[in-house]
Amino acid sequence: MDLIEQFSNFNFYLLGPYPRGDIGGLMLNIIMAFLAIGISFSFGIILGYSRLSCRPYIKFPCIAYIELVRSTPLIMIIFWFYFFLPYIFGRNITIFWSAVISLCVYAAAYQAEIVRAGIMAVPRGQLEAALSTGMSRYGAMRHVILPQAFKMMLPSFVSFFVSLFKDTSITYIIGVIELTQTGIIISQRQPDRMLAAYVSMAIGFWVVCFTMSRLARRLEKRIGVFDLESIRPEACRDEFMLLPRKKRMGEGMEENPSCAPSDQS
Amino acid sequence: MITGAKLTMILMVTTTVTSLLLGTVIAIMRISRITVLRTLGSIYVEIFRNIPGLFWILFFYFMFPELLPSNWGAYLNSLDYYPVIAGIMGLTVDNASYVSDILRGGRLAIPHGQREAAISTGLSRIQQYLHILLPQMFRAALPPLGTRMVHNFKNTSLCMAITAPEITWATQQIESLTFRGIEATTIATLFYIALAGVMVSLIIILEKMLKIDISSISHSKAAE
Repeated sequence: MDLIEQFSNFNFYLLGPYPRGDIGGLMLNIIMAFLAIGISFSFGIILGYSRLSCRPYIKFPCIAYIELVRSTPLIMIIFWFYFFLPYIFGRNITIFWSAVISLCVYAAAYQAEIVRAGIMAVPRGQLEAALSTGMSRYGAMRHVILPQAFKMMLPSFVSFFVSLFKDTSITYIIGVIELTQTGIIISQRQPDRMLAAYVSMAIGFWVVCFTMSRLARRLEKRIGVFDLESIRPEACRDEFMLLPRKKRMGEGMEENPSCAPSDQS
Repeated sequence: MITGAKLTMILMVTTTVTSLLLGTVIAIMRISRITVLRTLGSIYVEIFRNIPGLFWILFFYFMFPELLPSNWGAYLNSLDYYPVIAGIMGLTVDNASYVSDILRGGRLAIPHGQREAAISTGLSRIQQYLHILLPQMFRAALPPLGTRMVHNFKNTSLCMAITAPEITWATQQIESLTFRGIEATTIATLFYIALAGVMVSLIIILEKMLKIDISSISHSKAAE
């Protein structure tokens, strides 16, 4: 009975002061992480693609932004937006939105790096093949490169989501009532339930992160297998890419056997 | 502000060293042949990776003294620099789980023949780890380890939540005392960017120093 008593206010951890006030607790962590990753997703793609651009006036601002954000702690970004967004907008915004905006700024830089890695992992032949069929550069990106890149990026997106979810706990410092804050509130109001508060905080974070990281691992396995089955780089190269060239060389080969491919290698 | 910067650097160096040590121990536990050790190592990593570092810092500051026998807890709470110790402990346990995961990945990159060669020259278990396996593990895992250490350096700013007087906390103090928040935050941000840049370039230099020239090895093999 004592144990049940200790954990009796788990509604508060889960939803915060929800029925009487704003939503909070673990739910708020999840909402913030999803909002941040959703809003910054498009920015991440644009930044990551622009970073690979060959035009310096597009490339260098993007590199500067990504490296600037990546070498600043999230707390600093949160403070910048918490204290100085009111100066810029001229009016106060709620702490929830200032937290979400700073998480977005943070997430966009990391997602840009994931997107860049994903695009670079697509074999170069894919782009060349797409361009040679007469696609525009945009069309090739949109229909050939990005779909393949997304498939490779998916596991790292999920594991980035886990790390972003953990980072939402930092917003407790500017007073967002999320899981860490609810735990602190309870452990200060009812000191006898301190251990229960910390254990509930840990369980809340652990369950979500563990599920997501397992999901990432499973995705990684499935996509890895799927890729091997579908692309098979060796098979592609032998059956489709080299065939026309061999035929073309074959015409001359009969006259001059010394330029047979086996001699060249 | 300058004392804050000093403390940030102290925190960074100590947590880097301690988390490397703890991470190495756990990595060895996770690759050992004894099932109990392996399970313990996996449990450690699963627990500490899936709970944010901020939680561990708060836990060591508020909860840890309560769990100890009462006179020890009171002694810890009476220390002036207990926030710093709690911060170091929290960051270490959080970072060590990542380090052990990275090092385990580095172990998988070592060819099996290295271990066999070490056994056949008659080295003991400990000697094998010290002289053959660990150096190669670190070398293989250096790039992700470097990224992790920069991350750890950025995480030291979390210690402001438990009033450890490092640079982010100093920024807040300046903001609340003199309302010169913009200047203070700018300086602190520049400090972080500069130090992260120094760390990254150090890691790149270290990588170049430790790189083995693979082409030379294969050439000598071909010559034989």
